[in-house]
Amino acid sequence: MPEQQITLTIDEEGAITAKTAGFKGKSCLEALEKLLGNTTDIIQVKTTDEYHQQQTIECKNTIKQRN
Amino acid sequence: MSAVIKTTTPFTISEVLFAALTKLGAEPIIITAENINNFQNRSNVAIDNIITNRKDYNGLQLFRFNGKVWQLQHDQDEYETSIVSAVNKEYQSVSRFLNELNGIYQVCYQTHLKNLAELERQKIEQARIDRVAATRLQAITEAKAQGYSVKEKNIRGKIQLVLTRSV
Repeated sequence: MPEQQITLTIDEEGAITAKTAGFKGKSCLEALEKLLGNTTDIIQVKTTDEYHQQQTIECKNTIKQRN
Repeated sequence: MSAVIKTTTPFTISEVLFAALTKLGAEPIIITAENINNFQNRSNVAIDNIITNRKDYNGLQLFRFNGKVWQLQHDQDEYETSIVSAVNKEYQSVSRFLNELNGIYQVCYQTHLKNLAELERQKIEQARIDRVAATRLQAITEAKAQGYSVKEKNIRGKIQLVLTRSV
């Protein structure tokens, strides 16, 4: 059964770095939005080559909590 | 004829004044509703006054807040002066007393500023800790609600949450 994984790293100031694996296309961003809601401001998004090829199995987002 | 006058630093903060008076050996006491009866026959006191162990014709010398600064109330002629204390008996003139108090007040004021800065630092640090805890809790709660299993690690002071689910 396919597995989806999100790794959240919360730094000392409460900012979050999120890395996803096992998602297809933009669903990784949607999953993060659903998980973190509107309480965060995304300040940076890094995507993999696979993301742009629509065969994505991994994308990486860096977001920061709105204070 | 000419004159040179010098004023003291305005005593504006009661805590600092109280600390300075204590250091100077003036044995200050704040007048409250509970203790005012102990002093009414020895001085013209009111609640919130700060009395000292310095005594003159009018009774115990005290500091009274006039809305802006704390002022020493004393007999102008410094008549019948004494010190009411078991340990300190040497009466100093008002001018000398205020001069010494002025110096100690400034030292205590610096300590007061440091204490305020430390309190502010602690407040900011607590806010940071609370913010991180709230972010962690919110992420875990939402992840579990969406069917993720959560594994938590602490890596060099950062919290790492690994969320996994099968689809």
